[in-house]
Amino acid sequence: MNMTDSSDKLTRKIRRAAVVGGLGLVVQLAAAFHWTPVTFILSAVVGAPLVMLGGVLFLAAVWRNMRDKGAV
Amino acid sequence: MLPVQLIVALVAGIAILALLFAGARSLSAHTVGRVVLLVGLLGLPLLLSAGNFSFGVHESSTTHFCLSCHEMQRHGKSLFADNRQALAAVHYQNRLVDRETICYSCHKDYALFGDVTAKLNGLRHVWAHYVAGVPEKIALYKPYPNSNCLHCHDDSRRFVDGVAHRPVLSALYAGTTSCLSCHRTVHDMAKVDAGELWQAR
Repeated sequence: MNMTDSSDKLTRKIRRAAVVGGLGLVVQLAAAFHWTPVTFILSAVVGAPLVMLGGVLFLAAVWRNMRDKGAV
Repeated sequence: MLPVQLIVALVAGIAILALLFAGARSLSAHTVGRVVLLVGLLGLPLLLSAGNFSFGVHESSTTHFCLSCHEMQRHGKSLFADNRQALAAVHYQNRLVDRETICYSCHKDYALFGDVTAKLNGLRHVWAHYVAGVPEKIALYKPYPNSNCLHCHDDSRRFVDGVAHRPVLSALYAGTTSCLSCHRTVHDMAKVDAGELWQAR
């Protein structure tokens, strides 16, 4: 695998993480406009986990990239 | 009222993520850029989520939040019942507790896990509202504990010196006699149904 492929792959994965995290924030934003019991639960059960998933995807992408480069 | 600061912070967070999405390729090529990605994709969204959750927990303790389910609206009206003996009405109308959090102030336990238990019970309420169905008669999960009353009244002069309280003080503190055995009317639904309500100015 050459450097460009590796960089493209990392970029794609970072963008995917940004989209997932962004979706989580959008869910939380929607809930913040109208706090009711159900929107609070949606925010906590859907929004926050999506943000965490975005973070995990980002860390996993960085880890794999470092491993592929032999840095770890 | 809209949580403007929270909304602005969340919108800013989404905008930052959009910028990181656009600049992912160039940012990932440099050390500083990678740090920016780490903060922007991990630190910032987690911080915003924590703030949002904290606000939600606070908001879920407010009176208007509890009364946002129609099942509780008669209980909400009972805060205005024209009855000087009904506990909920007396506490609300005389501002004995913060009106913004009156449901939570009286219905949460004050032990170490009181808040957690109250929030878990809140989840049970939501489950009943949307899935299991609301029971015909709304009742407490357990007998009302004296400790919830004593959290505020404990050593207050009016309580301790009260002629009716003095003979039963130790029983009240021990929880062997319920405060509600004398203060029988808590939410005066009869007055609510009759429309006999106190009008705040």
